[in-house]
Amino acid sequence: MPFNVADAKPLINDEFAGEPTKRALQYIQIKRSEGMPVAGIYCGYAPMEVIRAVGAVPAILCAFANKTIAAAEAVLPANLCPLIKSSYGFIATDTCPFFALSDAIVAETTCDGKKKMFELISHYKPMFVMDLPQLPDEKEAEANWAAMITKLKGFMEETFGNSGSPARIEEEIKATNEKNRLMNRFFDYAAKKPPVLKWSEAYELALLAQIAYTRDLHPIFEKVFKQLEEREMKGVCYGTGSSPRVLVTGCPVGGDSAKVYKIIEEAGGVIVAMDACTGMKPFLSEIEEDTGDPIAAVARRYLQLPCSCMTPNMRRLNELDKMIARFRPDVVVEVVLHACHSYNIEAYKIMNHAKNKHSLPYLKIETDYSDGDVEQIRTRMEALFDSL
Amino acid sequence: MSFIGLDIGSRTIKLVACENGTVVLRRKALTSHDPLAVCRSLLKDAPEVSIIATGYGRHLVKGYLPCETVSEIKAFAAGARAVLPSCRTVLDIGGQDTKAISLNENGRIDNFQMNDKCAAGTGRFLEIMATALGLSLDDFMASALSAENAHPINSMCTVFAESEVISTIARGVSRPSIALGIHQAIAARTMTLLERVSITEDILFAGGVALNGCMREQIEKILDRPLHIPEDPQIIGALGCALIAGEKFQGGK
Amino acid sequence: MQGDVMEVPHVINDEYVADPVRRVHDYLLGKRDQGAHLVGLYCGYAPVELIRAMDGVPVSLCSSSRRTIPAAEAVLPANLCPMIKSSFGFIRTNGCLLYELSEAVIGETTCDGKKKMFEMIAHIKPTHIMDLPQLPDDGEVLLRWTGMVRKLKNFLETVFQVEITDDRLEDEIRETNKKNSLMDRFFDYAACHPVPVHWRELYDVIGLDPVTDSDELQRHMEGITSRLDERVDRGIFFGYHDSPRVLVSGCPIGGDAAKVLQIIEEAGGVIVALEACSGMKGYSIRIEEGTGDPLTAVAEATLKIPCSCMTPNGRRLDMLDELIERFKPDAVIDVVLHACHAYNMESYKIMNHVKAHHGLPTLKIETDYSDGDVEQIRTRVEALFDSL
Repeated sequence: MPFNVADAKPLINDEFAGEPTKRALQYIQIKRSEGMPVAGIYCGYAPMEVIRAVGAVPAILCAFANKTIAAAEAVLPANLCPLIKSSYGFIATDTCPFFALSDAIVAETTCDGKKKMFELISHYKPMFVMDLPQLPDEKEAEANWAAMITKLKGFMEETFGNSGSPARIEEEIKATNEKNRLMNRFFDYAAKKPPVLKWSEAYELALLAQIAYTRDLHPIFEKVFKQLEEREMKGVCYGTGSSPRVLVTGCPVGGDSAKVYKIIEEAGGVIVAMDACTGMKPFLSEIEEDTGDPIAAVARRYLQLPCSCMTPNMRRLNELDKMIARFRPDVVVEVVLHACHSYNIEAYKIMNHAKNKHSLPYLKIETDYSDGDVEQIRTRMEALFDSL
Repeated sequence: MSFIGLDIGSRTIKLVACENGTVVLRRKALTSHDPLAVCRSLLKDAPEVSIIATGYGRHLVKGYLPCETVSEIKAFAAGARAVLPSCRTVLDIGGQDTKAISLNENGRIDNFQMNDKCAAGTGRFLEIMATALGLSLDDFMASALSAENAHPINSMCTVFAESEVISTIARGVSRPSIALGIHQAIAARTMTLLERVSITEDILFAGGVALNGCMREQIEKILDRPLHIPEDPQIIGALGCALIAGEKFQGGK
Repeated sequence: MQGDVMEVPHVINDEYVADPVRRVHDYLLGKRDQGAHLVGLYCGYAPVELIRAMDGVPVSLCSSSRRTIPAAEAVLPANLCPMIKSSFGFIRTNGCLLYELSEAVIGETTCDGKKKMFEMIAHIKPTHIMDLPQLPDDGEVLLRWTGMVRKLKNFLETVFQVEITDDRLEDEIRETNKKNSLMDRFFDYAACHPVPVHWRELYDVIGLDPVTDSDELQRHMEGITSRLDERVDRGIFFGYHDSPRVLVSGCPIGGDAAKVLQIIEEAGGVIVALEACSGMKGYSIRIEEGTGDPLTAVAEATLKIPCSCMTPNGRRLDMLDELIERFKPDAVIDVVLHACHAYNMESYKIMNHVKAHHGLPTLKIETDYSDGDVEQIRTRVEALFDSL
């Protein structure tokens, strides 16, 4: 489902249009050449503000390519999340430029697969594993997570030879909040009826925004908002007024698994909300400013991330409610990566919630990075839209 | 005015023509390696009217035949409600896939589950098992119906189940008990599929496998509820398409 | 039984020897009739001493029957550990007497599957989830885990309106140590060459642990050891002198998964060590007595359990070294339950360690509770023995 005009220019119109990974790589390379150390991360729980406060730039190491999975399966079980296999495969074949650039790795005990995969790569580079509380609503969770973040800071300071004062963290907190406000203003264009931006544009900007310093994003935001305002004025929109609006939730989706987004489009739908770490999730909340204890404020905010590794993760349902109210989808599609037990089991609750509380049709898609199931996904997506 | 529905499955293609909501023509053929050619031959001498296609081959023919497409879920839901207006659950076991659909009181699709990645429990599975036992499909069913007890089979993979059946025969186990064991294994798998959608009466059993009386018996037993079997269970998808075409192009009926 | 063995009386000589399940049921029902509170558990990390210190009875709820798996798969994904599906299936079909009898349930954030399954049953009975640290070698981990154990104590005291005193806890610590020592000494017989005790008898004797106190267990052990000594004197043993001695490691094995042990025996092997939680795992651990801080003492002890949910779980390699030295196996077979990511991924390290440090051949078996793969397992085990 393209735009209603043939000549909609890409929102980020640089040499990397359509190639967000390369854009992110160049950004990191530039920062590194300016003397910034690179902290490789695997997860939305990695505290970006602290990473930036010690003067490092984060690099996302999660991989979305099918081609490295065969190499990974020499060591990892086949029955495992493709994201984990792909990421490990890149490292095992020494073909991941982000990993090569990383001066240290930040890891968390989120899911079993990642946790045990980290053991297999811990010898390549200095790595720090954070013990993530799994019951974030318990009262000691925040203190425990703040202690972990403090330890991470110590590890980074030692490894990078920099130091990050509380004042610096506070600066980064404010920078993140500013970034998130800008991102939300951007997402508002997807909330319109019909939406003014396409899923791939949201995905591209989100990928860069996650790792970049806010000040480096200002020129990009300026151009993007100008274009979006122009689109709105000219009546340029994505899809038609009657295209089914789709909220996609669940596991991180990107690269080879973005086939799901394309199939949704080809079946006539428009994706208006991407409830995953590769989409809107990292930008939806703000960190408390000027509390006098910036690490505690950071800890508090990150523990609110509704990943399915948390239990009982009621917050996910609350966030879903907010997203549904804001983006007004007609259907909910949940993408669960093959062998991801947490999201797969939680999907049952999400399904009941979408249907019973919001009367929205729901479809769960279990998939991986291969293209063997494209037609089966298509059949289900068409059936979902048929049921509207 | 006639409307045509085409259900292009991976093993058979079904054509139904409807006039005023009544079936006036029905044709079936094996899909073969050239579904487009088979569709054209089924359409020969059929009234020149609006066509809606469904099934795995629907997109293949879309550019070449004057037809639009719907998902098989929607097609089966429409066809099931036409032959059984009180239908709330549709079970379809076809040549190579199975599906379960739950409908609300108004016949709208509430939930659906499909198994189209594996032939276990499908018509093809039954064919291969029948051959392994040296029986025709009809005799295979009769044999299972005549069994006093069932010999359970362990493999659900079509290929390995075939090997298992052969070695079980070699061990001297009776054919009827093996046949019944196979039917029971499929019924158990079908139950899991149905439970994922929700089971509300009335339940329609469609697809070629619905013609298998033993399959019906075993599923009813495990469901502990009756199944309704239409007079021609294989055309439900095509019928649904024809009725959808009628609604769409005539705005009614 | 195999080898030079005729009809030999079982090592346990009581009325339940032919029906160990009934022993457990009678024991629990008897305790319940006496007014004791039954508390359901899913794992070894919850310190049972707390439950016993309030005169309660710990009840293991992990099931190993495939019968209830189809019912579970209406809600849980099929691609999931069979033990989790089986346990959940029993609850869903109201078919678990032990769950029915339990007045409260304790769970831990061990693996993803269990963690999310607990969410599905938390509404049925008072359920308390403990946030288990995943890095047991970390600095303040004992403080954090002791905090969790203290919360468990509060939960039990609140639900059952009792007080768990330090004195009673110290009593139960001594109890546990006594029983663990008794059990551990019994395992010495499996270290004999040739082996006078059968693997089913190992299970049956381990099965006495939850249904006896140390005095009763001692009485049992007196009979058991005298019968085993007699076997040794009379030259009665299992297998042949040259039967391959097998150490079975990995996931808990019981019920329908015990097919693997049966197959090992039929292929000519003799099982001399069972590494999993269903076997010898916990019995080598001793709790510090008389510290004045029994809560910390029990917390410290359970944290030593080398489950694969821990990272990097170096302790498991240590325990394997100890088992190999003590029981002198000729081969190691690692049994991984289908979809258990933690044990499956850790298997790679285990197998490499056993081969490199002990020169022993290894075999990994991924299986579930069905019997469809019996012949494939048999082929692999026979091939392993052929290679000795």
